[in-house]
Amino acid sequence: MLVACPRDGRCPCHGLGVDSRARVIGRRLAVALVVIVQLALVARGYWSAHKEFAFQMFPESSTWQAEIVRVTTDGTRVPVSLPWAGYRWDDLVTGRGLGHPELRHHADAGLDNQLAFLDAALDYVADNTPRDDETRYLEAMVTTWHNTDGPEVTVLRSDDRPDAA
Amino acid sequence: MTATAAAAPRRPASVIDTVDELLGRRVSMRSLALLRVLIGPVTLLHLLPFVVDALNGRIYRDAFYEPYASWYPELPRTLYGAMLAVGVVAAVAMSLGFCTRVATGATFGVVAYNLFLSTTHVHSNRAYLLIVLAVLAIAPCGRELSVDAWIRARRGHPPLDPRAPAWPLWLLRFEAAVVYGASGMSKLVDPDWVGGTVTWHRIVQVRDRLDASPLPGWAVSLLADRSFHTVAAKLIVITELFIAIGLWWRATRYAAVWVAVCFHVAIEVSASVQVFSYLAIAALVIWAVPSARDRVVVIDPGNRGHRRLTPVLGALDWLARFRIAEGAPGAAVTLTDRDGTVSSGAPAVARVLSRLPLTAWFALPTLLLPAVRGARRSPDPDQAGHAGDSDRAAEPGLAASGPR
Repeated sequence: MLVACPRDGRCPCHGLGVDSRARVIGRRLAVALVVIVQLALVARGYWSAHKEFAFQMFPESSTWQAEIVRVTTDGTRVPVSLPWAGYRWDDLVTGRGLGHPELRHHADAGLDNQLAFLDAALDYVADNTPRDDETRYLEAMVTTWHNTDGPEVTVLRSDDRPDAA
Repeated sequence: MTATAAAAPRRPASVIDTVDELLGRRVSMRSLALLRVLIGPVTLLHLLPFVVDALNGRIYRDAFYEPYASWYPELPRTLYGAMLAVGVVAAVAMSLGFCTRVATGATFGVVAYNLFLSTTHVHSNRAYLLIVLAVLAIAPCGRELSVDAWIRARRGHPPLDPRAPAWPLWLLRFEAAVVYGASGMSKLVDPDWVGGTVTWHRIVQVRDRLDASPLPGWAVSLLADRSFHTVAAKLIVITELFIAIGLWWRATRYAAVWVAVCFHVAIEVSASVQVFSYLAIAALVIWAVPSARDRVVVIDPGNRGHRRLTPVLGALDWLARFRIAEGAPGAAVTLTDRDGTVSSGAPAVARVLSRLPLTAWFALPTLLLPAVRGARRSPDPDQAGHAGDSDRAAEPGLAASGPR
C-alpha cells in the first residue's frame, strides 16, 4: 500500500522504511522498465545477428571458413593473405576469430553473428587502408557449415572504395 | 468486544501493493557488499586484456572494431589509457570499499563505456558483469565489509544502517535468473542442441585436443559417443533451467546453488569463457536470505574445540548469518536456526558450514545424511524467540514477504 510521507521528515513513520509516493512509483517504474527491456533483449536474440544481453551461450557447433580477396580497379582478385600497400589482414582484423579466415573456425556465437562481424570487418578494412589506391572493394567467399549440415557458400562484399584509382 | 472485532478490517493487498512492499522493504545489503568485494578482482580480470594491449601501445581502434553508433564519443589515445587506469583503480577501491559509491559508479562507468565502444567487445559474460556493476552502483553496498565503514568507526561515528530497500537485490536476482533461463531456453527450442548434435559435434571438432589431454581413454571415448550426447545435452538444458527456477524457492535453492557451482566449474574446465565462471559463482551470494545475524551458535567457552570455532566462524561468516553466544559448560555446539529449529553436535557444525560461502559447497551434501536431517528439533516454546526473533522484530514482515 502506498503511504505518503511529508517531505519535512517529521511524520512518525520517517526513517522506518516508509517512502514517499514519488519514490515508490519511481522504484516500481524503474524495476518494470529493466524487466521489460531485459526480456525484450532476450527475445531479440532469436532474430538479431548480434545478441547483446540475450545470453544465448554456446548456441551452435557451426564452423566457417572464408577466402577473402581484394578486387582491384582492373578486376584482379588478390588474396588478402598477401600484404598490400604496407597492410596485413591479420594486423587490421584481430578479434572474433577473424584474423585467419582461411582456416576453418568455430562460430562461437553462431553463424549469423560471425557473418555479421566478417561483413563489418570487410567494410572496416576498406575504409581504413588509405595508402591502398588500387583496391575497389573486398570480397569474401564464405563457406559455412551449420552444425552438422553440409556446406553453404555466402558471398560478402565491402562498400566500394571511392579512393581507388 | 473482542480484540478481533475491534481491529479495523484489512483490505486485501493488491498485486501492486505486494510488489511495492517487496521492492521497498528494507533488507540487509550484506550479500551485495560481499558481491562488491568479490567483483573487484573479476573486473580487474575483465580489464586486463585491454590494459595489456594499451601498455603495448595498441588499443581497440588499431584493428577492426565496429561502433554501435557514430555519435558515441571516442577518447584520444592517451585519455583512453588513462580511463582504463581509472577503471583499474576504481575496481580496487570498489573491492576494498573505499569511497565505495564513487568507486563503484566509476567502475561501472569505465566498463560500460569500454564495452559499448565496439560490437566486438560485447560478450555474454561482459554483459552480465555490466549488470552486476550497475546494481552495485545503485545499491548502498558500502556500509559493511568496507574501508569506509572502518574509517567511520575509527572516527567514532555510529555505523550506517546496513539495510536498504530490496529492489536492487530483486533486480539482480531477476537478471541472474535470466542469464540461466535465457541460455537454457535458447537450447531447449533448438532441436540440434537438445538432441545432442551441437555438443557432440563440438567434441568431434576438438577430438585431437581431447586425445592429448590427461583424460583417460574411456572418458574420451564416452565424450565422443553420439548417444552419450543425446542424454548429456538434455541434462545441460535441464540444469540451466533448474538453476534459473530453483534459485527462487527455499526448498530448491541450496540444490540450485550447489548444481550451479558444479556447472560453472565444468564450463571453466572445458571452455574459454573469459570471466563468466568467476562472475557467476560470485553472484550466487545474492541468493542468501537478506537478513543478518539471525542464527545463533551456542558454544561452551570452556571447551577448546568450541573456542577454536569462534574465530573460524568470524573469519568465514562473510554473509553475517550467525551470532555466537556462550552456553552452559559441557554442552555441545548448538545451532538455533532462523526458523527456531535447533540442532546440536556434529549436525549443528555441518549445518553451520553449509551456510558459510567458502564451505557451503562441501557441506551442503551432508545435510542429506539421515543423521543430520534427523537431528533438528522444533523450537522449544520456552526458547522461542531466542534465536533470530530479535532481529526479525527489527524487520517486521520479513518472513512474510521479503526476499528469501
